[in-house]
Amino acid sequence: MRRLLLSVALLLLASCGGDAGSERNGGTVVIGIQADADALLMPLVDGVYGRVVSELLFDRLAEIGPGLNTVGDAGFEPRLAHRWSWSPDSLAITFELDPDAKWHDGAPVRAEDVVFGLQAIRDSGNVSSLNASIENVTSAVALDSMHAEIRFAARAPEQFYMATLIVPLPRHVYGSIPSGGLRASEAARAPVGSGRFRLVRWESGVRLELAAVDGHYRGRPHLDRVLFSVSPEVATGIARLKAGETDVWDPLPPAVIGDLAAEPHLRVFNSPGFDYGFLAFNFRDPRAPTRPHPLFSDRGVRRAITLAVDRSTVVRAVFDTLAVVALGPFVRAQASADSTLRQIPYDRDAANALLDSLGWRDRGADGVRRRDGRTLAFSVIVPSTSRTRERAAVLIQEQLRAVGVAMTIERMDFAVFLGRQTSGNFDAILGGTRTTPSPSGLRGSWASAALQGGGSQNPWHYESAAFDDAVKAGLGAMDPIESKAQLRRAYQQIIDDAAAIWLYELRNVSAVHRRFVVPSWRPDAWWLTLGDWSVDPAQRLPRDAAPAAP
Amino acid sequence: MIRVVLSRLGQGATIVALVVSGCFALIRLAPGDPFAVSYVQENVTAEMRDRMRRIYGFDRPIAEQYVLFVRNVARGELGWSFSRGRPVAQVLAEAVPPTLLLMGTALLLGGVGGVAVGAWQGWRGDTRKTRIVGRVSLVILSMPEFVLALLLALGPALAWGLFPVTGMQSDFAPPGIAGVLDVLHHLVLPALTLALVVCAMVARHQRRAILAVTDADFVRAARAKGVPEHRILLRHALRNALVPVLTLAGVLFPALIGGAVLVERVFAWPGMGSVVVDAVVRRDYPLVGGSVLLSSLAVVMGTVLADIAVAWADPRRRQS
Repeated sequence: MRRLLLSVALLLLASCGGDAGSERNGGTVVIGIQADADALLMPLVDGVYGRVVSELLFDRLAEIGPGLNTVGDAGFEPRLAHRWSWSPDSLAITFELDPDAKWHDGAPVRAEDVVFGLQAIRDSGNVSSLNASIENVTSAVALDSMHAEIRFAARAPEQFYMATLIVPLPRHVYGSIPSGGLRASEAARAPVGSGRFRLVRWESGVRLELAAVDGHYRGRPHLDRVLFSVSPEVATGIARLKAGETDVWDPLPPAVIGDLAAEPHLRVFNSPGFDYGFLAFNFRDPRAPTRPHPLFSDRGVRRAITLAVDRSTVVRAVFDTLAVVALGPFVRAQASADSTLRQIPYDRDAANALLDSLGWRDRGADGVRRRDGRTLAFSVIVPSTSRTRERAAVLIQEQLRAVGVAMTIERMDFAVFLGRQTSGNFDAILGGTRTTPSPSGLRGSWASAALQGGGSQNPWHYESAAFDDAVKAGLGAMDPIESKAQLRRAYQQIIDDAAAIWLYELRNVSAVHRRFVVPSWRPDAWWLTLGDWSVDPAQRLPRDAAPAAP
Repeated sequence: MIRVVLSRLGQGATIVALVVSGCFALIRLAPGDPFAVSYVQENVTAEMRDRMRRIYGFDRPIAEQYVLFVRNVARGELGWSFSRGRPVAQVLAEAVPPTLLLMGTALLLGGVGGVAVGAWQGWRGDTRKTRIVGRVSLVILSMPEFVLALLLALGPALAWGLFPVTGMQSDFAPPGIAGVLDVLHHLVLPALTLALVVCAMVARHQRRAILAVTDADFVRAARAKGVPEHRILLRHALRNALVPVLTLAGVLFPALIGGAVLVERVFAWPGMGSVVVDAVVRRDYPLVGGSVLLSSLAVVMGTVLADIAVAWADPRRRQS
């Protein structure tokens, strides 16, 4: 009898511990964030933290793989759709949903939820920023409960990527909310998602707690929960990280990286970033926007100013090794990036010679060049919230002074800066952009098509038919090699035009507590691998042992 | 007395209306676009921003927006905070209790401490100890609140680990009485920051007020009658010297609100401070309007309460 009981006990133990990963399960990661999430439903999200949390709560049909290649479908990994097929004319993709995929309320994910996901983006009352990214999508149709077909107006290399931007939403939860009412609905604050983590609580402006979903179709995450804790001041956020109150801070301000790297309990991740900075010239006169800018409509002046700026020195002085000189309106981490492009070099003599040849010869007592009674002077707007941009502006100012160009720096409140940027009220701007693995953002920021909506996304009013054609061809080419060649042509055009001085490309530096085992780090979205993180059992803290929320 | 209170309330209502109207105009006239914050995204178009402006009514003339705002406030509706995705009233209802807890504690500790310290300084006169305390309070007063807050965060919280660095509650706060103790633990540093400022301010006024009555006839008479010194101070001198300090309380309250904004930011205290700063930075007009309305109401109420307290402490005022 005793032997039988022992055998039963052993069997029970074996059945409990049968999952190889169960030893690694458990633990809590506390992520310090500077601001609360703006929304948790993807079609409503505009801010960074809203995106982070919503991408943990909701799975896409497929996810970009580690290569960050957005062309075609080869670089994608299955998520809610476990397989897909293309129509013979390549104008439709049929996604077959994973039969085990469920919403957090237990209802299965169905094809009609894919259709509803598209409806939520298209609903004009929701004013979804995803709309512009999926212009090519014409419709989504539920072929049956498990098959959804997404149709396109034209063939494009990033068709599949566009389809994955449509995140399925549970129709049975949100379907009854009237058009335009989603943003204000209580249901939007308590999302029912499909991701490996579900929402437990959202204390506005304070914290957001997510818990692991047991029995998730992709497997239960190792961590029991993820807690986002808001620290509005970066200094106190970093202090909390050092004190061990939080486990993650991303991105780290350059000034504290050395200090944090020396902390024995922290590990610093340094990965390619998706932010690039530039000094853009306004092609129109800010005082009379229908007229060309008196200085910058002249390509020669723009090129001369670019020639006079030693970008390497600026980047090294401001960022040390935390940034590299930008090559154009893209970052090196994008698959379409090209590091062999011909750049406008730093050449002060050539800058002087070019300005002389353009007639800017006479210099006043102040050393500033003059032509026909006009001085070669302009102002650059800089947000006072960015110390790095301020410092870069000061260095550029000194370098330009050496060739007789007077640049005044206008520092201003961030909201004012954004207002001036969107309205095109500036001579030059020290701006920055966060791009994505896809090069499609080029069209929104630099193509003349963006000017049609008032130009707030191309506030510098850069217009070049050659650039537009190359971008269109590059984004439209089905062959990846052809696409890259066309985009190269576009990049070269905008560099040669000196539409901006391409200054820096930031590296993304983050700190994570050493007790976490982090198997992979995706540079554009590190949080997407959180489900695979685990806590070293030997280094668990009391908060790792706390029970997960019901 | 009732007439005084009603008159003060009437004046207060006018002040609130003026402050809120001025703020309404200023925030809209300030450069900046409420929907430009999404600029970092390459796919946000001008058309989308225009649509958002239309949805929230920011495309209408300022005068029309003002009339709508006043009408809504009269109906008890403060509007929708687009930066927080919730009704303004709901945002404020969550932010006010933490601020009241913080400011109430700071005022109580700082006020009582300041009266005690100031009375001691004044009564003891010019000694080495009182001079040292006076200089310390001067240093505290000269220091911006956020510097004091950062010093406290770096020392007792970060270096010595005695207190949590930020927040009002631990992320995994226990329920019940342990939860209350957890909140009090978090309250110590932010409340101490503000209380030190209040204490220093009150102490300086209290000291001067006590010095003014130390040689007063009623004090000398009490001494001549053989009344013990501590009783003279507590029963006679202090009550007479309280009037200027109570008057100060009326001014202290609005000053404290300004300081609380910064202290709340440093300690990530989830009160009105964070709400107001975020609302201004993001040009969340309805939330700015609601916050200013509430703050100005609080200031007016604080002033009225201070007037009533002064009247209580000084019978001459009551009669006049």
